[in-house]
Amino acid sequence: MALKEFKLPDVGEGVAEGELVTWHVAPGDEVTEDQVLAEVETDKALVDVPSPFNGTVEELLAEEGEVVPVGDVIITIREDGDDEETAKAADADADAETADSETAESDDADDGSSSGGRVFAPPSVRRLARELGVDLDSVDGSGPSGRVTEGDVRAAAEDDGDGDEPNGPRTVQSNGKSATAKRDEGTSASAAASAESADREQTLAAPATRALAKEEGVDIDAVPATEMRDGEAFVSPDAVAEYAQAQREAQAADAEAVAAEPDAGAATAEATGDAASEPAPPETGPGAGERVPYKGVRKAIGDQMQRSKYTAPHVTHHDEVDVTELVELREQLKPVAEDRGSRLTYMPFVMKAVVAALKDFPYLNSQLDEDNEEIVLRDEYNIGVAAATDAGLLVPVVRDADRKGMLELADEMNEKVEKARNRKIAPEEMRGGTFTITNIGGIGGEYATPIVNYPEVAILALGAIKDKPRVVDGEVVPRKVLTLSLSFDHRVVDGAQGARFTNRVKELLEDPKLLVLE
Amino acid sequence: MVVGDIATGTELLVIGAGPGGYVAAIRAAQNGIDTTLVEKDAYGGTCLNYGCIPSKALITGANLAHEAGNAEEMGIHADPVVDMSQLRDWKSGVVDQLTGGVEKLCKANGVNLVEGTARFKDENAVRIAHGGEGQGSETIEFEHCIIATGSRVIQIPGFDFGDEPVWSSRDALEADTVPERLVVVGGGYIGMELSTTFAKLGADVTVVEMLDDILPGYESDVARVVRERAEDLGIDMHFGEGASGWRDEDDGIMVTTETEDGEENEYRADKVLVAVGRSPVTDTMDIESAGLEADDRGFLSVDECRRTDVEHIYAVGDVVEDTPMLAHVASKEGIVAAEHVAGEPVAFDSQAVPAAVFTDPEIGTVGMTEADAEEAGFTPVVGQMPFRASGRALTTNHADGFVRVVADEESGFVLGAQIVGPEASELIAELAFAIEMGATLEDVASTIHTHPTLAEAVMEAAENALGQAIHTLNR
Repeated sequence: MALKEFKLPDVGEGVAEGELVTWHVAPGDEVTEDQVLAEVETDKALVDVPSPFNGTVEELLAEEGEVVPVGDVIITIREDGDDEETAKAADADADAETADSETAESDDADDGSSSGGRVFAPPSVRRLARELGVDLDSVDGSGPSGRVTEGDVRAAAEDDGDGDEPNGPRTVQSNGKSATAKRDEGTSASAAASAESADREQTLAAPATRALAKEEGVDIDAVPATEMRDGEAFVSPDAVAEYAQAQREAQAADAEAVAAEPDAGAATAEATGDAASEPAPPETGPGAGERVPYKGVRKAIGDQMQRSKYTAPHVTHHDEVDVTELVELREQLKPVAEDRGSRLTYMPFVMKAVVAALKDFPYLNSQLDEDNEEIVLRDEYNIGVAAATDAGLLVPVVRDADRKGMLELADEMNEKVEKARNRKIAPEEMRGGTFTITNIGGIGGEYATPIVNYPEVAILALGAIKDKPRVVDGEVVPRKVLTLSLSFDHRVVDGAQGARFTNRVKELLEDPKLLVLE
Repeated sequence: MVVGDIATGTELLVIGAGPGGYVAAIRAAQNGIDTTLVEKDAYGGTCLNYGCIPSKALITGANLAHEAGNAEEMGIHADPVVDMSQLRDWKSGVVDQLTGGVEKLCKANGVNLVEGTARFKDENAVRIAHGGEGQGSETIEFEHCIIATGSRVIQIPGFDFGDEPVWSSRDALEADTVPERLVVVGGGYIGMELSTTFAKLGADVTVVEMLDDILPGYESDVARVVRERAEDLGIDMHFGEGASGWRDEDDGIMVTTETEDGEENEYRADKVLVAVGRSPVTDTMDIESAGLEADDRGFLSVDECRRTDVEHIYAVGDVVEDTPMLAHVASKEGIVAAEHVAGEPVAFDSQAVPAAVFTDPEIGTVGMTEADAEEAGFTPVVGQMPFRASGRALTTNHADGFVRVVADEESGFVLGAQIVGPEASELIAELAFAIEMGATLEDVASTIHTHPTLAEAVMEAAENALGQAIHTLNR
């Protein structure tokens, strides 16, 4: 087989899909191994996708802007030294696949048995399939040699919401709450039909699937099971994506319904389903506002913030530090650093101070293992530095900050922040942080209430260094003052400890000579 | 009976009370549907009255007599005398018991029984002409109809079933004497079953078959077992000859045949049995009035729920195109149609249809042959177990034949089976079930089979296909 299919590789742990941002090749282009084929944006970063073989690009199977699940074929490449015949065969294959893809779970439609479309399923299962409107050909059997079981059919029925239901209105389960959908057919029928939810206690799913569910903001226990494994509901990434899509459509339909009934002010989200008996066309005037997709980095940030804020009870401790001496010290060191090719900001000093304080207060460098009800005191000091980028907030991590010198910290941080801004940072460069520092001062403001970068337990926000009047030796003098805002997870860290930690950071920043000892 | 024409209504009208129709009617009634079953002749149809059941009764009698008279090697010495009219009476008793049972079951399930011949008036009504002079007629309006009129034997030119020496299979089963010399036209399963039976009852049997072997449609190694046994029984078989006519002779009749090359042969006989097949009965009920049209062979085309082109009219059994003319197929189709009328999510989706031939030895088949499987795109793997290696077969003194299982090599799914040998008609059921359930060779091979039984051969054949047989050499 000289025509090679290339699937979107696993571009990062927990990454289930990526948006194909740019193609660097076009059909007919010759490509060499490792040549960059495309740029793909995941929820973590922009990633280059290199070619695994030498050859000629046959076909691009994803469009720019398309969100592609990991494992989907994105490009076909004809390997060097090929002939016409296989091309035709491959085309035929491709056609066959296109035809197959009309069925529900198309991506591995050709996994079935080797022959004439025979599906192996007992009579009772075949009958159930008809009852539930499931096309047996589209069901992947979980039994021996792919035999289709009752569970497979039931899962497919839940999965495949748009099965042929003979008649009657459908009941839509939305996060366990039911609302009867009597919507106008055609407009939102499909959304209504496929928005069915499950309501389980437990769900089996691959980590990537769970990540996807989180990213999509769906409760994995509500996603209709793809199949049963060992008696437990098993959910596939496709099922999550489909469910999320259905939920979005259902919500959009609900929104339309609400918009359609301005008088129905009392309509709650739960009630909108049946309030929408006569939906008017959705409002499209300028008042409705521009709609920006909530996806990718934006959504990843949102989900992360939401999880942190709703999981960890936040407390924020504020204080001021007189950093006059630090400013002087940095002024002295800056040219020295420059001579060595480094750009020295205040951040490395703060990192040093924070690491020192974390050593004294290990609970601020910990993580709560909720499942095992244990607090894990981390034995490494990986400091995240929040960076504002065009795409949104990214947090590159400087690992083992305790074992790095000031300039090393400066260089590494600068480099990673720069990569983040250019969205060239690798997902693994943003992982594994134990504590985060965010600098809000660059833009303005005094204090903040930062949200902890969960599962870390604390985050320190730096304000701007400003000249402020301070009393020194009984006299009011202008001093350089930095504001600190430390947010922490109150489940792990109490207010007193947070304050003591801040005091320690403060002490080190006020008298930066002490940092030499650290 | 009602004189004159009065109209009544029914939700479901079933035409024909054979194994397709009566089963459909009972199942419909069980589903709460107001069902009327029309039968012009006898409850149970051809199968119970003139086919499967009487022939099996006769075969049993013939086998018993023949075995008793041919068991010298077991030390049994007997020369049984068969009283044909007594055997016929016993057979009729069995038939009566079964047909009476069908009638009772229909009534007990609330099926309205109507005797008469139905003709469509339009697509929602039939006129029933009651049997016998002056019995009048009635119109029955229906919402749904199931046509289950079955089939009739095919008559060939030169052989009129109205003539006394010319037998249809039905006549053969009604015989009260065994003809000294019997020519059987047609070496298909009906011809061979009756040839064997009459040979065992003492007739001098000659089979004339147009094709070059008996049992067309069966694999040659399967047919060979039966053919060799038929030769042992003294049946004279002539292939490549078509029967062209017969004439009276001083002592009996002379049946004339013709080869493809135009060569003529003559066979002396007392009776000639014509068993060349059956054709659907769709020409007696004015189906055109209902908007239906049969194909040029008389069959009706149906969808997977057995609906004809006219959606509320169903067809089941021998009138249906594409499914074999078998009672059990008719019954299954009848159930599908009835349940579909009742709104159930059914379809005729059986993976395989088993079939049995009650020759000596019997044949049981289901699903695909090796060649079928290959054609369907599978890579077949085959396992075989000769009955010679079966302890139980040897103890029945019937060890001819084999069990063959065909499966998909990659997945192991059982695709088909051919059994020729003792009780093949019974043994095939297990493999039909295996295929329906999507069982693999390993499923069959791993199931404990009772020892000592013939059914062990099924397990052994599956093991053989897996290369794990104990009692045969694995190939």
